[in-house]
Amino acid sequence: MNTTMGRDPRAVTSSAPRQRTDSAQKKKEEATGATPPRRRHRRQWVGLAFVAPLVTYLVLFYAFPLVENVSMSLHRFTRATYVTGEAPFVGAEIYREVLTAPQFLPTVWQTAFFVVASLVLQYAIGLALAVFFHRNFPLSVVLRGLFLVPWLVPIIVSATTWQWMMDADVGILNRILGVFGVDPVWWLGAENALWAVTIANIWLGIPFNLVILYSGLQNISADLYEAAALDGAGAWRLFWSITFPLLRPVSAITLLLGFVYTLKVVDIIWIMTTGTGRSQTLATWAYGMAFGKGTSAVIQYSQASVVGTILLVIALFMGVVYLVVQRSERVA
Amino acid sequence: MNPTLKKSALLLVAVSVATTASACGSSDKPADKPSESSSSVSTISFWDPYPQYDDSSDWGMYVKGCAPEGATINRTSAPNTDLINNLTTAVREDNAPDVVFLDNPAVPEAAASGLLVSLDEVGIETSGADENLAGPGTVDGKTYGVPIGANTLGLYYNETILKAAGVDPAGITDWDSLNKALESTTSAGHKGITFAGVPGEEGTFQFLPWFWGAGADLKQLDSPEAVEAGQLVSDWIGKDYAPKSAITDNQSASWDLFLTGEYAFAENGSWFAKSATDEKFPIKMMPIPAKDGGAAPVPTGGEFGVVPLHKDNSEGHYAAAKSVIDCLLSTDKQVDTDNMLGYFTANSETRAKQIAAEPVYKTWADAINNAQGRTTDLGTGYLQTSAALSKAEQAALNAAGDAGQVKAAFTTAAEESQG
Repeated sequence: MNTTMGRDPRAVTSSAPRQRTDSAQKKKEEATGATPPRRRHRRQWVGLAFVAPLVTYLVLFYAFPLVENVSMSLHRFTRATYVTGEAPFVGAEIYREVLTAPQFLPTVWQTAFFVVASLVLQYAIGLALAVFFHRNFPLSVVLRGLFLVPWLVPIIVSATTWQWMMDADVGILNRILGVFGVDPVWWLGAENALWAVTIANIWLGIPFNLVILYSGLQNISADLYEAAALDGAGAWRLFWSITFPLLRPVSAITLLLGFVYTLKVVDIIWIMTTGTGRSQTLATWAYGMAFGKGTSAVIQYSQASVVGTILLVIALFMGVVYLVVQRSERVA
Repeated sequence: MNPTLKKSALLLVAVSVATTASACGSSDKPADKPSESSSSVSTISFWDPYPQYDDSSDWGMYVKGCAPEGATINRTSAPNTDLINNLTTAVREDNAPDVVFLDNPAVPEAAASGLLVSLDEVGIETSGADENLAGPGTVDGKTYGVPIGANTLGLYYNETILKAAGVDPAGITDWDSLNKALESTTSAGHKGITFAGVPGEEGTFQFLPWFWGAGADLKQLDSPEAVEAGQLVSDWIGKDYAPKSAITDNQSASWDLFLTGEYAFAENGSWFAKSATDEKFPIKMMPIPAKDGGAAPVPTGGEFGVVPLHKDNSEGHYAAAKSVIDCLLSTDKQVDTDNMLGYFTANSETRAKQIAAEPVYKTWADAINNAQGRTTDLGTGYLQTSAALSKAEQAALNAAGDAGQVKAAFTTAAEESQG
């Protein structure tokens, strides 16, 4: 019931422009069909020439580093490699080392928790705020602006502030808890560190969700709400039957981008806990190993690129999921 | 898949195959290609880990003043943890600096990785430094660095708080009396002790006086003595003698906490000795006590002047390096350099004069004479052991006194330091 009600209006709004592009496409095809084959050939070369700068850029700045990363994970790189150039090919050996390392599985689970908890809460809070600000009221623009502050403040500042607020002995968070008679929490201690950095990261991600979802709301025609309201739909019904389903494409891209951003978060975790205790994620682990930061000053380039490759595969997989979801949307 | 998509996919595949081939080809290019030409270097590049001093600071001017005739010195600063990584890539690109002041535990790693040239090759005279301070500069019998001087750790205390709590500093001679002093000061409403338990080398540096003071050895991280040292700092957190933020505090952060005037003690470096005399409350220092009395062995801190490898015009670069290092670090010049940085000189004779001239250094004389190099026992293996020890300390601090967890942490550390 919900879904049909949700889809109907969208079908009406989106099918009209598509028909137009379809007919435009047909016209264009007719036009190309009319050109003689030789000219068509030349046009293909011209087309390639136009694409060439983009392809060169992609190869230089995307394909090459990625391939290098994978190649690094198959060769044993040490600091001396930089001087001698010697990096013996070891095949999957380093993958085996990383995958069987005692900290691998816990790190994967911590990463999963960090990403999922961040995404769900950022999205839920961002959506709630977007809907809230959608009804214009006095000062709503100013308030909405204030919600963007986490985005504007440099992360070094916000992360350090979170670190102070979460200080176990003198932090304001524990003082507030103390007012309610709650025992002080060692936020940044090994056991609670994951929650601590997740909370900070949620705060950091709300503005992004708010902005995108808010702009998505602007595209929903007010007529729909009006018509549904005339039929007697309440606020909840309006949200679940109109707002939420019509936001699906926007939600999908928000969640996908949020997923990729969250997966690779290093800075806020690093500044708050340097990835100690349970706050270690795949990204901080890779960072620490690649640059000899954190607990160990031994650099492990190859191990770090193994973790980097794993992150890459996860992100690619999510990209494919997104494309599939988007396509099925379009077909529906 | 529509035709355009298929075409671009094919193109991408072709392109990535091409880049793979070129990537494999580039990795085995010959590394060193000695050059025939040798000319004097007009811009000498100098790196140090003191970003707190900018170009207009006394230190910046002092370094610039060491440029030989017809040359200028271009000084760059980066934190210690970044310096060796920057150096690695610079050597690879053959645009390494001429002289680097490199943190002493990083010297064996840098030398073993071939980033440095031995001082013999450059023709720099190395005698004059005390053996315990010069230790980390020697790898496999070759000397790669001149100690620029040394610093070490001591136990600072807030005289006002100790007096108010009725604690006699002279009575603090071992761990028991220190713990008793912490108990009296905290029960009198003050805070106990600040130290840096931050993960990594800095945290290990601060942990070593307790580790060595218990009689533990870096070659055996799970010895009962090592566990005792872990238990000591773990109890400090558990009993609220030390702030919980110690797990992420570095040495500047823990010093800032001490400067609030709320803490009775602070484990920190000799580089604060002079500025400590200008604070709002009287700060004194005592050697860090060993478990059963006497002064604990403390680790030496400080950098080494090293000369990175050059391929092109190596003679010119090494000549420049020699003149700068001679100017900054030769035995008679070192006093000026070290006074500028708040370090002790590496030569016992000049150090005696330095200490005689500066009353606040008196209490430090024994500490620096007995200080041990961190890498002296283990060489390049030190970094791995230090990482394991740092992890164990983190776990011990998080255990907040729980003996079982502390012991387990050091058992794990022993396994990791082997690996």
